[in-house]
Amino acid sequence: EDAADESNVSAELIAQRKRLVDEWNAWRLRAKEELAEERKKRGKKVNDEKAPEEEKEEIQVWIDEVIEQIEEVIIE
Amino acid sequence: MRPILLQGHERSLTQIKFNREGDLLFSCSKDHVINVWFTDNGERLGTYDGHNGTVWTIDVDSQSRFLVSGSADNTMRLWSVETGKCLYEWEFPTAVKRVAFSEDDDQVVCITEQRMGHQGAIRVFDINREGDGTDQSSEPISFFNPTGSKAVVCAFAHDPSLIITGHESGKVALFNAKTGEEVQGNTRAHLDQVTDLQLSPDRSYFVTSSKDKTARLHDTRTLLVLKTYSTETPLNSAAISQGKPYILLGGGQDAMSVTTTSLRQGKFETRFWHMVLEEEVGRVKGHFGPVNTIAVHPKGTCYASGGEDGFVRVHHFDESYFRAKPYGDLEIED
Repeated sequence: EDAADESNVSAELIAQRKRLVDEWNAWRLRAKEELAEERKKRGKKVNDEKAPEEEKEEIQVWIDEVIEQIEEVIIE
Repeated sequence: MRPILLQGHERSLTQIKFNREGDLLFSCSKDHVINVWFTDNGERLGTYDGHNGTVWTIDVDSQSRFLVSGSADNTMRLWSVETGKCLYEWEFPTAVKRVAFSEDDDQVVCITEQRMGHQGAIRVFDINREGDGTDQSSEPISFFNPTGSKAVVCAFAHDPSLIITGHESGKVALFNAKTGEEVQGNTRAHLDQVTDLQLSPDRSYFVTSSKDKTARLHDTRTLLVLKTYSTETPLNSAAISQGKPYILLGGGQDAMSVTTTSLRQGKFETRFWHMVLEEEVGRVKGHFGPVNTIAVHPKGTCYASGGEDGFVRVHHFDESYFRAKPYGDLEIED
């Protein structure tokens, strides 16, 4: 969470990251369009990713088991 | 983030896979056994018994109805996920190193090993989903031998008429699933053997890991390398995370620290890399040997790693993981 503290990240790096993200997003949007296009050509319905959220089962299981606890004693 | 340790395998893990909902985790190992576990609490739901050799590879269909497995006993088997029964068995002259279902679950592609007078081969089978699943054809609908370096990993591409392959030489290629013709190839995708290949949900890009210590993100259509993640250790597995734009990498230990750290300490790490920024985000330690296989829950709520040490570790992410924005407010398209 202290990662939210960006003060030590240079403006240059921020700009660089923004550029990378913009490039990626542009590529993704283009790729998604082309993919939808190709799917249509194959006569398949376009998978609209966000299919209605399936009903969720609520399962409550309480298990708390210590799996490993290693204590190391360092003797000088 | 206290991991759940799945104990049940006696030898090193070879591949792990979540089902589509992510409530089940399948694992296979050199101990000849395939296990299925509840992701939630790590309880073992059952086993798929029958192989007489290392089970190298598994895949589960999108309905969690059929499981397919490939083994060093030279068979590929189809299992009923629910009952654990083996429904069908295909026999080959050599070991089966990789299997994968198509998007529509109606086909399976497999790689058989190159050995003693047998070329490495890729076969595609139709899967008959009618009835109880025992009525399968023993003959592949296509069969071909990629020339040059042998294929070690494979999957159906965004277009099910294409098969993506990763090779021993580091090459990545696209083959026509019917004719076996190489449609596209990138011989310099990696400098050493490709060890894993996992696709994005829409199959339009994929990640490969390699012994050359890098993992790479590729555009499925063009095979252009989009991103490179360079580490200090040979990599065995790479997975694309959901929800967060991360790539998870697992492998050995860097040569420098082998002499300084004890194996007993569980120093083998899963590395998290930012998919777009190509920066390392963090590491999770735990295994007592190299990490052989990694899978991310389809909703990104947890991930699992299978090690040379025979353990599977399931890590459910803490709330802070979802809240953290280590790189500020960047909106990234999936």
